Amino acid sequence: MTLFFIGLAAILAGGVVAAVTRMRSTRAEAAFGGLVVAGSILALVPALRVLGGAASPVTTVPSRVPGGPWEFGIDALAAFFLLVVLGVGSVIAIYGIGYLRAERSHRSIAGACLGFSALLVSLALVVTARAAIPFLIAWESMSVLGYLVILFEHERADVRRAGLVYLVATHVGTLALFLLFAAWARVATDLRFDTLAASAANLPRQGQVILLLALVGFGVKAGLVPLHFWLPGAHSAAPSHVSAIMSGVVIKMGIYGLLRVGALLAPTPAWWGWTLLSLGLIGGVLGVLWALAQHDLKRLLAYHSVENIGIILLGMGLGFLGITYRQPAVAAIGFAGAVLHTLNHALFKSLLFFGAGSVLRATGTREIDKLGGLARAMPVTWILFLIGAAAIVGLPPLNGFVSEWLVFQALFRSGLGADPMRLAVIGASGLALIGTLALACFAKVAGIIFLGRPRSAAGAQGEAPPLLLAPMAALAAACAMIGLFAGQIVKPALRAGALLARTEPLRGASSDVALAARSVGLLAIALTVIAAVGYGLLARLRARRPIRREETWGCGYAKPDPVMQYTASSFAAPLLAAYAPVVGLRVQESATSFHSHPTEVVLERTIQPLGYRVRSLAARLRPIQQGRLHIYLFYMIAVLLGLILYLVAA
Amino acid sequence: MLSAIAGLLLVMLVAPLLPGVAGRTKAILTGRRGPPLLQLYYDLARLFRKGVVYSTTTTWMFRLAPVVLAVSALLAACLIPLDGHAAIVGFAGDVIVFTYLLALGRFVLVLASLDTGSSFEGMGASREVTFASFTEVAFFFALIALSLATDSLSFAGMLGAPLVTAWPSAAPSIVMAAATLFVVLLAETSRVPFDDPATHLELTMIHEVMVLDHGGPDLALILYASALKLTLFASIVISVVVPRGMLNPFLALAVLAAGLLAVGIAIGIVESVMARLRLTRVPQVLVAAGALAAFGVILLLR
Repeated sequence: MTLFFIGLAAILAGGVVAAVTRMRSTRAEAAFGGLVVAGSILALVPALRVLGGAASPVTTVPSRVPGGPWEFGIDALAAFFLLVVLGVGSVIAIYGIGYLRAERSHRSIAGACLGFSALLVSLALVVTARAAIPFLIAWESMSVLGYLVILFEHERADVRRAGLVYLVATHVGTLALFLLFAAWARVATDLRFDTLAASAANLPRQGQVILLLALVGFGVKAGLVPLHFWLPGAHSAAPSHVSAIMSGVVIKMGIYGLLRVGALLAPTPAWWGWTLLSLGLIGGVLGVLWALAQHDLKRLLAYHSVENIGIILLGMGLGFLGITYRQPAVAAIGFAGAVLHTLNHALFKSLLFFGAGSVLRATGTREIDKLGGLARAMPVTWILFLIGAAAIVGLPPLNGFVSEWLVFQALFRSGLGADPMRLAVIGASGLALIGTLALACFAKVAGIIFLGRPRSAAGAQGEAPPLLLAPMAALAAACAMIGLFAGQIVKPALRAGALLARTEPLRGASSDVALAARSVGLLAIALTVIAAVGYGLLARLRARRPIRREETWGCGYAKPDPVMQYTASSFAAPLLAAYAPVVGLRVQESATSFHSHPTEVVLERTIQPLGYRVRSLAARLRPIQQGRLHIYLFYMIAVLLGLILYLVAA
Repeated sequence: MLSAIAGLLLVMLVAPLLPGVAGRTKAILTGRRGPPLLQLYYDLARLFRKGVVYSTTTTWMFRLAPVVLAVSALLAACLIPLDGHAAIVGFAGDVIVFTYLLALGRFVLVLASLDTGSSFEGMGASREVTFASFTEVAFFFALIALSLATDSLSFAGMLGAPLVTAWPSAAPSIVMAAATLFVVLLAETSRVPFDDPATHLELTMIHEVMVLDHGGPDLALILYASALKLTLFASIVISVVVPRGMLNPFLALAVLAAGLLAVGIAIGIVESVMARLRLTRVPQVLVAAGALAAFGVILLLR
């Protein structure tokens, strides 16, 4: 545990160094990067030990604040999330150095670096806090620091607006968490998590109020539909490395919270599992449909976070249902899928946001329909982005497939039982739908941005610098490794799942899954090797044949123009038309023009109209505010009289 | 194991025959002479000997896609218990790997078509991913029905001996699943009424238009992979309709061969008696097919 705190101190020191030196030299950058990476590795040592099977360390800090002593500890759940936070977070920090370098000439980036390392530290504290008060403090500082790093380009009005929406939304969530712990405190002697878990039996109505508050409080952070409305704006307004940590890591704190509270209260009532499962399905489908409608690359990626949170929730829902209905194997596999997908999403979503950042740096635009043909100017970025795209779609031989396969396993297995949980099997079709829609979406993103010819003057200035490529390569390698060594990765994931499901690890059905995962890994390796050999053989075959280079076949049209290429909007149009009622695409067309604008269905079509309605109703109360003192004195006397009459009547 | 390998070799060999059988049936029924039964074999042999024309717009993606497509179809073939008992590779959840291997093939083919920068191919790619989103859901509903009926998670159970014992008790659901699977077969392998492999107008094509710019060995690989995919889906349909889990593996292979011939003829009959659907109708038919299998699922969940 000491090592953990030393590591966190080193990360924070990196931020302070950045702030003091203002990141003006390469040495300052190296000091920042080195301290953050070294600190992360140090802090991860105890976490890895716990994952390896060691006892979980606990540190207690005595406190005078009500709520008992402050405990910090690393159990298996915390250790796993630390791996996500610090493992992926430190790679993001390196990319951030390279990404912010271009900004150094015209603004101070010291604050951004300090804010980033402080954010990493508070994230690490959120997952290790084992008492309500330090948890809430870490949670709030994470939220506020998130706001500060999002506001990097604060001179832009849309950034300020997105930041404000984020700030309000996150505080609604925090409010729910305060209520949650306040409600729990009424039955517990202090606010340590252990005490809370022990007193869970005393909660009125089996803690259903607590679960509802957790759903709101953590749901806002996780981007649970319909509480996701702040997410696309905030994640796309932030600089790309911040988008990566927000989408890849910060929203996972919502998942962590749901898992933690669920574990403290387990066994949970059936509706909790069913709610998570259905919210996961709804969020998954809607998230990917909304993503498909976007024209802005980063907004599109942000909506895919909503989709992937949906897949994680699906796994979690099955996990909790498995506990409720006493199907330990389904529970373990479901949780294993959720946990592994959490890690996988952190890896490929950060990778994709890095790619988006490099594209933005090279071309100056995020409009998908203005781009094209970037594969030629940015060959390495293209390959790495393609790996991320195939991974997020869930295609073998990459990591996204492994975790989605686990969730599918749990879904199909739930159908083999005899209880009401069988109904969950229908979710498999929902997950398949999410998968194909994601395929359509990333075929559009990868194909339109990187392939074909440039659609506008916004051509790339050349390949991204090595400092941006190296972090991308690291994440892409991790994606490939998890996919190719599925058998080895699924085992610890199943162990974690069994722990969350409170059952013995690797028994019966779940060891059957571990065995099947080995076959998945072998197939992935076979696929890669055979495809590589086949490509080589075909290249040799072609070398002996005459090869000509011509224009693309234009069906007889002699002078093709890049403007004639298919656009992302047209590519997505038939799918969006099929799902038009829920997509929220606003279309203006005339004989000669066509414009489509994606709208945020929850924010722009529900919350804002509701806000205007409340405001106009409130305006009717204006007459009682006359601004004259004697009127207010009259109100006070009237109320006083009313109270006296009430007393008399009573 | 020997019969499983023999089964793989069988489908790999007869795959190009299936489109020929369908075409021949159609020719006979419509009173034309039509191409010879072995036309696709001749085409493949000729394409392999030919040179290639590459568009100046294309990159390595365009040349990689045919290989990945063929390899993914081949690995998918290893997952189906063609002899009615066991596949070359079989495990719990292999059905999902099968679907996602085919999805991988679709993904690279779509990217290859976008690599040409042609608006026709972009259009084809867009239609392909749109219709796939409907077919895959229908396919999964059929898989769920089979999984529930046979209490198993792998092809070996869903198409093998457990299916034989499940037939008497779950016949309605299995029939519904089989019907859905046949519709999925037609849609996934771009046959009438969803797509017309013989159409000559780029604007009305789906699959064909995506490979307009491919030629030579590349096109041969794509054509072969599509034929293999057709054979695989046909094998699944046959295994559901005529469960062969109790037969001798080699006898089961003979039944499979006969069944493939029958499916080829069935496709030919469908193509002769139906016109292709308007593109806007395609999703409706696919949703209806999915709903059919979903009814089968509901019957089993009762």
